[in-house]
Amino acid sequence: MSCERGNKPANIKKIEKTVARAKKQKADLVIFPELSLTGYVLKDQLYELAEPIPGSSTKIIEDIAKKAKLHLVFGMPELSEKTQATLYNTAVLVGPEGFIGKYRKMYLPTHSVFEEKRYFRGGYETAAFDTDLGKIGLTICYDMFFPEVSRLTRLKGAQIIVCISASPAVRRAFFETLTAARAIENTAFLIYVNLVGIENGLQFWGGSRLVGPQGKVLVKAKYDEEDFVMGEVNYADITPIETFVPVLRDLRPELFDKLKEAAEKL
Amino acid sequence: MVLELSPTVLDMDWQETARRIELFIKDYIRKTGAKGIVLGLSGGIDSCTVAALSARAIGGNKVLGLMLPEKETRIAKDIEHAKLVAEKFMLKIQLCDITPTLEALYKTLPAFDPADKVCKGNIKARTRMTYIYYYANKLNRIVCGSSDKSETMMGYFTKWGDVAADISPIMDLYKTQVQKLAEYIGIPKPIIRKPPTPALWPGQTAETELGMKYEQLDLILYGLEHFMKSAEITKQLSLKKEQAERIKNRWLSTEHKRRMLLTAKLGYRTVGADFRLMRD
Repeated sequence: MSCERGNKPANIKKIEKTVARAKKQKADLVIFPELSLTGYVLKDQLYELAEPIPGSSTKIIEDIAKKAKLHLVFGMPELSEKTQATLYNTAVLVGPEGFIGKYRKMYLPTHSVFEEKRYFRGGYETAAFDTDLGKIGLTICYDMFFPEVSRLTRLKGAQIIVCISASPAVRRAFFETLTAARAIENTAFLIYVNLVGIENGLQFWGGSRLVGPQGKVLVKAKYDEEDFVMGEVNYADITPIETFVPVLRDLRPELFDKLKEAAEKL
Repeated sequence: MVLELSPTVLDMDWQETARRIELFIKDYIRKTGAKGIVLGLSGGIDSCTVAALSARAIGGNKVLGLMLPEKETRIAKDIEHAKLVAEKFMLKIQLCDITPTLEALYKTLPAFDPADKVCKGNIKARTRMTYIYYYANKLNRIVCGSSDKSETMMGYFTKWGDVAADISPIMDLYKTQVQKLAEYIGIPKPIIRKPPTPALWPGQTAETELGMKYEQLDLILYGLEHFMKSAEITKQLSLKKEQAERIKNRWLSTEHKRRMLLTAKLGYRTVGADFRLMRD
């Protein structure tokens, strides 16, 4: 999906149209990119566009999900209810019954062309939500570089890890590798959904994909162009790989304390 | 471990690069609703490459290349080259000799000093800019700049002159990379091989003025871009002592030419500082 920046009604309309199309094809879960409600490069306009979650925009999207009787993930700038200008970069999960949960991006890129920490506060909790479709973990973009985020969603029981993203073309190779790695090391399905379009010279590369628990790309959307692709998740596919490469069985929790110590002393 | 500055570090996938630049041009035209592109077409490698990429992106009938010679630097070959590219990539061209305008300016400037070739040359670049923007304004088009990364980092351009544009599609490519890209998209070889010049005075060439070949300059700039220390760059490229340092200082001291708005911080949010707004 490419976004009309700052134009929520236009982006909601696009979401609604896509959901209608997905419904016709009997989809259960429809996923849109990071900050798909607003676009990604928004600079100071973010303060105007951010909303509490749940809030008026999530309400509209909830209605879309309810009407279509399916689950939907999208991204938006969230405004903290307790302050007037504390923002989060948030992924929202809604379902046929309405709002299910949200995830506030933990790793905010603030280097190179990215300036997320200037605007957003990082989240403090990983997220995995029970749904009729199974447990779904939510992550966002740069989180992919930090295996602990998807690992924690997996340890909470998520067998589908969703990563919504706004990744520019110069980083495509990283994400193509990392998404497969996160799927393999967690023996889980990983759904990566990336923005397309050009914002402030950044060319988002699309290439959204469903990756199987063995790291195989099961379906892939076009590069650089808007696209609509569907894939099927069969949880039974996890069992053979969980015994073939039993990474979860073999986790060594005592190393995580060492990791913490070492990271603090970096 | 340090980065190794071999010429291969500048390699790129040229097909992908051309495609990205064309997408960028097309997208900006769409967003602004402009009716096309106007650019200065000197017949040099940079402007010919940008003209060709623009034509590939939005169609040559929406691209106007202005050839703006003046008598002191006019070279028949350059005009021939511009025409060659226009023909090959099917873009429109217009020739305007700017000599009378320049002479009127020289005549009416009380402080005009013909011996000061830099000040005089800058008038030429700014006059060309005026012509280009007139056409853009009149035709509801945008101006596409041809500055490359090497000259832009070096500040080797005229402030408000040749660098003035709405978009600068090849500004993130070093000169030697532009040469490769030009070759890939089929810019005629003589254009790629002739020595680059800003055409501000007769006989001026970029490499003489910059004091080294682009092959070397680009590797130094690439090193600086990647946070390498100038001593390390000097060592790796077997440069003369302080050569990399000189390039670094020139790069750092010309930031005023690349960032145009600066004021004293007085208010809550300030133009050019912390008014951070979307631009496309």
